[in-house]
Amino acid sequence: MSQTTETNAGGLEQKATPQNLPSDLTAAPGRAITAAVPQQLDRSAAADSAAAEPQADRASSLPGAQVAEPQAAHPAAAPKPQHDHPTAEAAPAPAAIITAATPLQAAALGLSIVAEARWPESAHDHTPPNLPGFILSSFSPIAAETAARCLSRRPEAARPSATAIVIATARGDRQSAAHVAQTVAASGILGPLLFFQSVPNAVAGHIAARWNLTGPVVCLADPVSALETAALLIEDGDADQAILLHIEQGDRDQAHAVLLQPVDARPVDAAQPPPGAHP
Amino acid sequence: MSGDGIAGQAPRTSRARRGATEVVIRGMSVFSAFGPGVDALAEAAFAGETGFAPVERFDVAGRRAKAAAVAPGSPELARELIRAIDEACDEAALSRQDRADCQLFLAIHGDPTLGADAFAAGIAAACGFGGARAYTSACVAASTAVADAAALIAHGRAERVVIAAGYLVDADQYALFDAGRALAPDGRVRPFSAGRGGLLLGDAVGAIVLEAATDAEPLARLAGWGRSGDAYHVCKPRPDGLGLARAIADALHRGTVQPTDVGYINAHGSGTKQSDAAEAAGLRAALGDAAAKIPVSSTKSIHGQALEAGALLELILTVAALRAGRLPLNAGYLGPDDDCALALVLEPAAADLGYALTLNVAFGGANTALLVGAP
Repeated sequence: MSQTTETNAGGLEQKATPQNLPSDLTAAPGRAITAAVPQQLDRSAAADSAAAEPQADRASSLPGAQVAEPQAAHPAAAPKPQHDHPTAEAAPAPAAIITAATPLQAAALGLSIVAEARWPESAHDHTPPNLPGFILSSFSPIAAETAARCLSRRPEAARPSATAIVIATARGDRQSAAHVAQTVAASGILGPLLFFQSVPNAVAGHIAARWNLTGPVVCLADPVSALETAALLIEDGDADQAILLHIEQGDRDQAHAVLLQPVDARPVDAAQPPPGAHP
Repeated sequence: MSGDGIAGQAPRTSRARRGATEVVIRGMSVFSAFGPGVDALAEAAFAGETGFAPVERFDVAGRRAKAAAVAPGSPELARELIRAIDEACDEAALSRQDRADCQLFLAIHGDPTLGADAFAAGIAAACGFGGARAYTSACVAASTAVADAAALIAHGRAERVVIAAGYLVDADQYALFDAGRALAPDGRVRPFSAGRGGLLLGDAVGAIVLEAATDAEPLARLAGWGRSGDAYHVCKPRPDGLGLARAIADALHRGTVQPTDVGYINAHGSGTKQSDAAEAAGLRAALGDAAAKIPVSSTKSIHGQALEAGALLELILTVAALRAGRLPLNAGYLGPDDDCALALVLEPAAADLGYALTLNVAFGGANTALLVGAP
């Protein structure tokens, strides 16, 4: 997949700007283009019309302008299948593979990928293992399984003292959100377990507890920003390594996890207190 | 454990690093249950007036809890975000070119249809910024954005970042929190108090301009920051508070400040039984003997828990307290709790503050600490 992000002189990702984007992808300026092209084609249908609105009423012209009224919010909350967007159908949709980070992107920030995993990795990956405490949606089970595969592939010598967990997801747990919206609209009763799984932090906490990841917990919407954050956390001593997990639910649920460490990583100095160690 | 706490024993207990450039806050704007403006929010906090009332914005007939801290009517998130961003940028006297050269870091609840990144990009485009990213890590989303921005500015990789955040109390989140038995049925948030019964949601939309320091006097300095993970549970914090303690130690270490230099702590203080006790333990672990003496309040007792925007709301209020030399109150107090032996601000008080800490905790064991210094 070609990458349209460039590395500037400072070694940082240069985000795609309106000037250098293809015209059908100018709807969201400043957002880096990754391999997930069909997602952007979906959003461009709504966002293009917003970009054409006069400046006078910027707020209401924004795509998906949200109001506090639940009645207005509910129709938007239910995820629409792709065939509702004619402009998405007009362009052929390649089988896009989402990417948390490429070795090139990592290297530009002084990091290397020492382990990785995907969902799905084979035709056998159609239902993730059940994740106790999480219900109804495949989002958290896929996140947990992908992270587990990645962390179980961590090289022994590289075992660090503190690993940050950085989750990149633009749409989050869509299944849970849709269920909540529909249930509330119908004045139904919500299962209490849904409470915490509505934010990505919860599965991050599961992964952190299961694998003893004591670095910071961060959730961002796009993988390029997530990679920059991971690099900065490592550079500033908040963590020795970072697992970056990119996950999106859609027609095909997908996840990609990479374990990142500095290119010049040295064994942990036993004389120094490791970051994240509990005193 | 020595009387110093782990923050007092840095650098032995902290490996936090930072760039050399000093980071300052130059513009800020907020919208809360008290309406638009920092002053309305701050005056309520200094007087101990709460913003909780029965919810009218949507139907709560089927809910165990009935109250929240909401602004009147049905404000629109995108509109309030743009208004707050414009106000903060105007206070910082940003030109159009300044905005175009600058990134927007936006903390919001996820958007399952549009995608949080596209929503953030839309706001950034409407405000003339060069780009945007969205943070969605619940109650530490905004503080994480501030810490990332501060780290970038400190390393000289950005001259300026605008951080904005917004959450307006909605039916779906209210229903979820109520189903999880997290909301206080008595309509009050009582941080660190005996008889505390849970949290209540609150509106907040805010923006700050974070910059590299210049000769011009800023609103305040962003002197230090720290973040850590508990690695403990999907939503419960470590009962011994050691994860939060590390975040506090890192913030003080980055600011080269001792615990005794901290004049006020704006605690996370959600008002739930377990979380407040864990936080009190974390304060003792971090600050040692100073923990029982530094004035502490959770202003969630005033403005509620504003989810992804809460940390920015509380940072702005902490800056306002620093500048006014007055302490926000810990409202809703009924009596002492043995697990929460802190110097709670229960009466209006003036204080000459050099430094103040604001703390936030979220699901997944996420902890953040931001250290604010007088200009």
